[in-house]
Amino acid sequence: MSKKQKISLSEDELVLALRNHEKVAVEALYDMYSSSLYGVISRIVIDTAVAEDILQETFVKIWHSFSSYSTEKGRLFTWMVNIARNLAIDKIRSKDFKNQNKNQEIENNVTFIDEQRNTVYKPELMGVKDLVQTLKPDQKSIIDLVYFKGYTHVEAAEELGIPLGTIKTRLRMGIQELRKHFN
Amino acid sequence: MEDLKAYIETGILELYVLGDITPDEKRQVEEMASKHPEIKTELDEIELSMEFYAKENAVEPSENLRSRVLGSLLTNLADDNIFTAAPLHNENDSYEEENNIVALPASKKENNFYKYAFAASFALLIASSVALVDVNSKLTDSNSQLVALQADKQHFANQVNLMDKELSVFRDTSYKLIRLKGTPKTPTSLLTVAFSPVQKKVIIDLANMKMPVNDKEHQYQLWALVGGKPVDLGVFDSATDSVTNIKEMKSLASADAFAVTLEPRGGSVNPTMDQMMVIGKF
Repeated sequence: MSKKQKISLSEDELVLALRNHEKVAVEALYDMYSSSLYGVISRIVIDTAVAEDILQETFVKIWHSFSSYSTEKGRLFTWMVNIARNLAIDKIRSKDFKNQNKNQEIENNVTFIDEQRNTVYKPELMGVKDLVQTLKPDQKSIIDLVYFKGYTHVEAAEELGIPLGTIKTRLRMGIQELRKHFN
Repeated sequence: MEDLKAYIETGILELYVLGDITPDEKRQVEEMASKHPEIKTELDEIELSMEFYAKENAVEPSENLRSRVLGSLLTNLADDNIFTAAPLHNENDSYEEENNIVALPASKKENNFYKYAFAASFALLIASSVALVDVNSKLTDSNSQLVALQADKQHFANQVNLMDKELSVFRDTSYKLIRLKGTPKTPTSLLTVAFSPVQKKVIIDLANMKMPVNDKEHQYQLWALVGGKPVDLGVFDSATDSVTNIKEMKSLASADAFAVTLEPRGGSVNPTMDQMMVIGKF
């Protein structure tokens, strides 16, 4: 990671550079957001190769449809993470991907199941532990389902067996906790 | 102000940031945010905290992905007017391929099946027809052979019957054999007559008969002399078929002598004495 100097710009600078199709903007965009976006994608799409393809697709789509983004609508990352999440969800729901999953080779099954159940130790997630303390488990599970797994709050309610109103409340409370923590 | 607070409290801004919202609701939130700075601020804070949360949960993709992604983006930058993204392209390709594979061969397969099935049925029909004709001709052959064999069998059965009859003549001790010898008119003529007074039967031996060939207008007539008077015993021809070796004549109880005369065809009531061919006495 220290091999290359990562480029970082302010969000306004970045948006401007992207509008002007500057080469530096592309690199800055990747360096600033690739890991955050990949964090979302890799939680939805377990297979590393496919997840990386989705990340590439995400950047291409961001680049391609950048004209449809405006700062008035909100922060750049909010817009980008929605693109990433939607592409990842489209992928796992596509017939192509489902068939591929059914045909998992038997020798891959051990790691495949481990990955699906999130039992694999991921060193990159170590820092999250501290944060988890600030979120109550019931708040975290809802935020993660919606934000990282792409569930709608209705689906999350069904999955967790919790009334819709409670889901909304916990979601809001959880995000309030995050705001306190980060600001 | 109270309204805005209530709006914020609904949690719709959070759902907006999480992307879990309908297009209508999305427009509504954006409109509210542009009208009310309080909403905009609230929204910014939510967005920022989620951005931090995402950063906390960030996963570093593999090193080589950077150059791959930048490469595909900068290629796009070079030919900006055609914005066909390479990875998207790949994926579309695989979808198209998949569609092709599903759609076309499925119907093609079905077509082929019926085509082959029809061809197979037709070939079978032709083969069956040929076989049927062949078998039928063989059957006809066999039938005609069978008819021929049956005729043969009948023939032999007849012959056996006749032989049996002949043999019975020899077995039956009541038969007496009389050799009718040629008169001075035809000295070489010869006819054997078997006579059984018990059975009242007269049989002539045609196989060993030696008589001149009679013409169409004439027939030989066998006579018996009973008490000096001639009794008609029936007519016969000198030429006989090979099957009939013996011929049974009219029945008779007793006789002194037998004689054969040549008479007009059908026989006469009284013998023409000067046409006497053979004669024999007991």
